[in-house]
Amino acid sequence: MDIYEKLEILADSAKFDVSCSTSGTQRANNGRIGNAVREGICHAWSADGRCISLLKVLFSNKCVYDCQYCVNRRSAECRRASFEPEEIARLTIEFYRRNYIEGLFLSSAVEISPDYTMERMIKALRILRYDYGFAGYIHAKVIPGAAHELVSEIGFIADRLSVNIELPTEKSLKLLAPQKNAGAIFKPMKQITNTLIEQNGLIGPGTMFKGQELNTDEHYIKDEGLHLDDRARTESYEDKRLASAQEGNRTDAGRSFGTLISMPKKGLASAKELAPASGNMTAAPARRRGKREPFVPAGQTTQMIIGASGETDRQILKLSEDMYRIFKMKRVFFSAYVAVSDSPHLPDAGSAPPLAREHRIYQADWLLRFYGFSVDEIFDDEHQFLDPELDPKVSWALRNIHKFPLEVNKASLDELLRIPGMGVKSAHRILRQRRVAAVKYEDLKKMGVVIKRAKYFLTCSGKYYGTARFEPADIRSDMLGISEEEQLSMFAPAGGKIANGANPWHNLPKNSPAVITGL
Amino acid sequence: MAEYLYDGTFEGFLCCVYAHYYNEKATAITVKGDAEQIAFFGELAEIKTDGKKAQIVYRAIENKISAFDLKRAYRIFLAEAPDKEMILLNYLCFGFIKGQAASSYHGLPIVRDAELLEKRVTTEANRFRELLRFSVLKNDILYSEIEPDNNILELLGPHYSDRYKNDPFIIHDVKRSRALIAAGGRWYISEFTKENLPEYHEDESSFRSLWKNYFETIAIKERTNPRCQKNFMPVRYWKHLTEMK
Repeated sequence: MDIYEKLEILADSAKFDVSCSTSGTQRANNGRIGNAVREGICHAWSADGRCISLLKVLFSNKCVYDCQYCVNRRSAECRRASFEPEEIARLTIEFYRRNYIEGLFLSSAVEISPDYTMERMIKALRILRYDYGFAGYIHAKVIPGAAHELVSEIGFIADRLSVNIELPTEKSLKLLAPQKNAGAIFKPMKQITNTLIEQNGLIGPGTMFKGQELNTDEHYIKDEGLHLDDRARTESYEDKRLASAQEGNRTDAGRSFGTLISMPKKGLASAKELAPASGNMTAAPARRRGKREPFVPAGQTTQMIIGASGETDRQILKLSEDMYRIFKMKRVFFSAYVAVSDSPHLPDAGSAPPLAREHRIYQADWLLRFYGFSVDEIFDDEHQFLDPELDPKVSWALRNIHKFPLEVNKASLDELLRIPGMGVKSAHRILRQRRVAAVKYEDLKKMGVVIKRAKYFLTCSGKYYGTARFEPADIRSDMLGISEEEQLSMFAPAGGKIANGANPWHNLPKNSPAVITGL
Repeated sequence: MAEYLYDGTFEGFLCCVYAHYYNEKATAITVKGDAEQIAFFGELAEIKTDGKKAQIVYRAIENKISAFDLKRAYRIFLAEAPDKEMILLNYLCFGFIKGQAASSYHGLPIVRDAELLEKRVTTEANRFRELLRFSVLKNDILYSEIEPDNNILELLGPHYSDRYKNDPFIIHDVKRSRALIAAGGRWYISEFTKENLPEYHEDESSFRSLWKNYFETIAIKERTNPRCQKNFMPVRYWKHLTEMK
């Protein structure tokens, strides 16, 4: 099989992997070719509008697993191929020289065994890093079930590692990916976070832990006490921390497995004492030009499929929040399920991927990482799904209308960030200008504030520019451009509108493995 | 009051700022010989470029406004816009009054206009870290053709010369007949034409088709969204992009 065909097959098999980001590492060229730029660089955008920044390929698509949502499942009929390590390295270098790509994203199906697959991947990466002297960006997937030493070794070569969580609950995983198990997925995740702490390299997502020191034993994830807790309830995060510390090894497969890992307990042992437990890091001979390479400087990420199983948006985001708070992951990526299978447990083949839902979940994810929101704020007790019509920040603001309107010339940074239509950059511009001059309403647009959303929730030097009545219902219909009659019909019994709390997203799978409403 | 004519260099522009303060006020600033010059208000004044005067203004911007604004001024100057000189002059005059706080007045049109021009330049310079493709020539030199809207060539120097410090390369701004030429981590800008350029490397066409094929394969057809694609990859840049040709 020639390289054209291999690349075609193994790119086609990799296209559902979401992450293509190249951010998080700033590195001058310390090899023969390549560097890394903190904010990341995309190089092209494919016909679906997704960016191409890395050569995203599978090492092999000859999979021994049979996950039903996956194009590469063993039972699927498709062309199969595996790269040779040298082929991947050469392709990466030749593409990189031409500035087609920012680096390599190497993943793989499980060929023969997790260890065998990881060893082959590592071989390719070693050729690329050490023989070709490649100093550009490398993102590698960790295959759950691979040996501790292999995860460690690949971490000293790659800029970023990710372990895909794929499905948000253990029950879905059992149903759709019977050969995978949650424990095997969380194990390398824990190892990566702990090694980062030992290497003093843990940064965390967005601005979530701004100003906090994360590289302490307090954040170290302990081995003991792997258990599930009741994820669906809505107690505060702190409550859950306590609860999970007290509960025993309860298993409840219907719940999200978000807290399969207990929160780290304070001051049990120092990170250094615990270090041997996380394996033989010094074995990794990751050296380039005499310098020891840092361990995954761009941190770790994960990915979840949206709409292949019946979880609620709240469950999905709760799990994401745990990924951020416990593992301090840089990102959780979401991919709208593209119906590639005729499995009875999945949406019909050919049904449209839930792109709108994916979009709303990403918006909520941004609120978690950069705007100081928690999942329990984004949802109230009646709603387990995000509002398809309004972005999650607007929904939150309408439910918390008593906190508004905020005076832009007085509000703190945290308050400004809570105003819908206000981004991080515009909030900072407001603060800057406030030091020298009052902010006028006309200035807001120039500062990048999205007026059509923000105007309902703020005042400028005491003047309000929103609706005649400061009522959530009025604001909502004004924003959506709904007339008064239409607004009334929304409350009519057969109005066709979504009942409070019901699932608003279409094409959920037929035999949904999880509860949809009223948890 | 006079309409200024200058030589189109940054130093020349700084001398216009000098003249604006020490001679007569400028009502317009244009590059000499760009088009037929007609004075609408006052008269035409040709501003001679003088290194000393330029140096005085350069230091004044750095010390009386800020180092940030000096860099900003330079980036704005790289913009391709007919009114960039006046926008920049107005911003600098405002800066000489307000000092380093000048850039905080985001709502003021004088500041806003300068911000927008600067953004145009930095955005495009960042885009050409993305949307630039090299071809490998017979002698292993990397060669790229670009046609940026603004004169951003030198903003690309630090990035590419570090990235390809062991590969000599040429980035050719076809529109302005200039090129960024780099080898061994050092670079300079020079007048450039394509004459005598070596042929492409024998592997070049096969890597191009590998890339094109990859580019088409990686798209998820169920998610096709050409508008989104064009937002990120404006059509005017497609001409020099291997995968869009």
